[in-house]
Amino acid sequence: MSVLSVARKDFRGVKRSRGLWGVAIALGMIAAFTAYVSGTATGDSTRTVQELFRNLSLLLSVVFPLVALVATYLAIAGEREGGGIKFLLSMPNTRLDVFLGKLLSRAGIVAGGVVFVYVAAVSVAMTRHGAFPVEAIFGTFLVTLVYGGTFVSIAMSLSAAAASRSRAIAGAFGSYFVLVILYIFPVIRIPDIVAWVHTTILGADANPDLYNAVQYTSPFMAYRKARNLVLPDELRDVVFRSSMPDDISYEMARTDPELPAYLTDEFSLVILTFWLVVPLLLGYWRFNGADLE
Amino acid sequence: MAAIRTNGLTKEFGGDVVAVDDLNLEIEEGEIFGFLGPNGAGKSTTINLLLDFIRPTEGSAQVFGMDAQAEAATIRERIGVLPEGYGFDNYLTGREYMEWAIETKGADDDPEELLDTVGILDEADRKAQGYSKGMQQRLAFGMALVNDPDLLVLDEPSTGMDPNGIQHMRSIVRERAERGTTVFFSSHILSEVEAVCDRVGVMNEGRLVAMDTIEGLREGASGRATISLECADPPDVDGVEDIEGVATASVSARTLTAQCTDPAAKVDVVRWVDQRTEILDILAENASLEDLFNEYTGGGRDSDRDPGEAESREASA
Repeated sequence: MSVLSVARKDFRGVKRSRGLWGVAIALGMIAAFTAYVSGTATGDSTRTVQELFRNLSLLLSVVFPLVALVATYLAIAGEREGGGIKFLLSMPNTRLDVFLGKLLSRAGIVAGGVVFVYVAAVSVAMTRHGAFPVEAIFGTFLVTLVYGGTFVSIAMSLSAAAASRSRAIAGAFGSYFVLVILYIFPVIRIPDIVAWVHTTILGADANPDLYNAVQYTSPFMAYRKARNLVLPDELRDVVFRSSMPDDISYEMARTDPELPAYLTDEFSLVILTFWLVVPLLLGYWRFNGADLE
Repeated sequence: MAAIRTNGLTKEFGGDVVAVDDLNLEIEEGEIFGFLGPNGAGKSTTINLLLDFIRPTEGSAQVFGMDAQAEAATIRERIGVLPEGYGFDNYLTGREYMEWAIETKGADDDPEELLDTVGILDEADRKAQGYSKGMQQRLAFGMALVNDPDLLVLDEPSTGMDPNGIQHMRSIVRERAERGTTVFFSSHILSEVEAVCDRVGVMNEGRLVAMDTIEGLREGASGRATISLECADPPDVDGVEDIEGVATASVSARTLTAQCTDPAAKVDVVRWVDQRTEILDILAENASLEDLFNEYTGGGRDSDRDPGEAESREASA
């Protein structure tokens, strides 16, 4: 299998990169630290560990895209600029083999990162609190894997479309800014920008559902909502409050959100699937048509 | 069946640079073909088109009768490539690169044996990234030899190699060719192609300007000669050009120089000048293959080569 031989070679090279191990160790330490300092007022150890994984995944929602982008953005662009692609394509490999092999290797590395973080967090949590809430741990683990996968997919597509390292870097950081930073930075948040364009420039009446829907296109928001599918109701991450009835209280919002279908937690799976698949198709299409010099 | 055939192969970059212009090429199975031309003549672009690294603007290319684009992966099973502009940047050792090439080609070669063949067995466990250019070239050449390919495509193979390495590589190329391997060999150095190739194609500015055997080219070259006569007084040039077989004549100070298309014309020039003035010295030169090459390629895009390079070329020939 050519795909596997491309993947194996790539994996062998990447795992010798010191930077990669540095990032993995830093992530593991963050996870272990988060697990170590976790605790709740109630003293219920299962709840404590559930909350730990809620908070840890919230942290990962910001950090992990960066890890996935950095681990992947050079997968093809680096080979193109460095000339490794000449060897890859001098062997009996098609461009699809190269693309899939690289994807497999980098996705494996990022998945390994998620596993590493979870092993660190779970072992510290088990030692300190002695609880193992299966659904919260495996649930957030799977959702995080998918979330990491979306950014691998995005970075792969950027890497496959870029002819040089510098363009791939610009693309990777640009997409981190547009897909993550713009959702957490208070002054220039996406929903505020969309609302401003909609009401001030287009002169329309405010439509919170629309702003929330625009906001929901990001894998970052989709991840936050997808976690709600696997965490207990009381620990739900309540977003899109502006689309809920005015009389709903904060506690009620955790259990009875009454949102339009395209703003529900379940819809996050559609959005994550979109980000997993579409960038890959576009990236391969560009790579397949490119002149590789 | 032809090992390589191109039909009106054309590649334009950015709409105005024509790197390869309507190229028609046919390389027979089993021959060593030298693809000659100055830097920027379109040799690597042609090779990149054959290997489907880049796509033609017009025309097509076939390798062993298979379309270079549609059947790229099948073609790659039968060829060994030493590409231009490659890089070893995967943190892998020379041995691991060789093992990877063997695995990817589904071959049963012994990596040690191949590393030894190209003379880098002692360095096999070092990262290929840290190799000198010549050693990288040896490794890349070794990887091209994996699975005894039917066609070897070597793009500027001697780049960065020492004369010893070049000599060694040439003997491997000859040996493989004797066993039936077709070799497609590009170079900007005439002597290198002269030493190994059965047939030569000369590229210049994207076009094939000559295609012949080395003997054929040499015959074409031998018809030309230059004669310089140093005289006691500044000679009169009028009438020299009228001598049959003389193309041009010129005088600089007391020296008359005539370019002849027929070598026999040199004697006529000497006689003609001797009747009119006293000749002190005679310098006659038959054109070399190199002169012919320079003529075909307009001296190349970088014609003012330094003498050092010319000397080392003599030495390696």
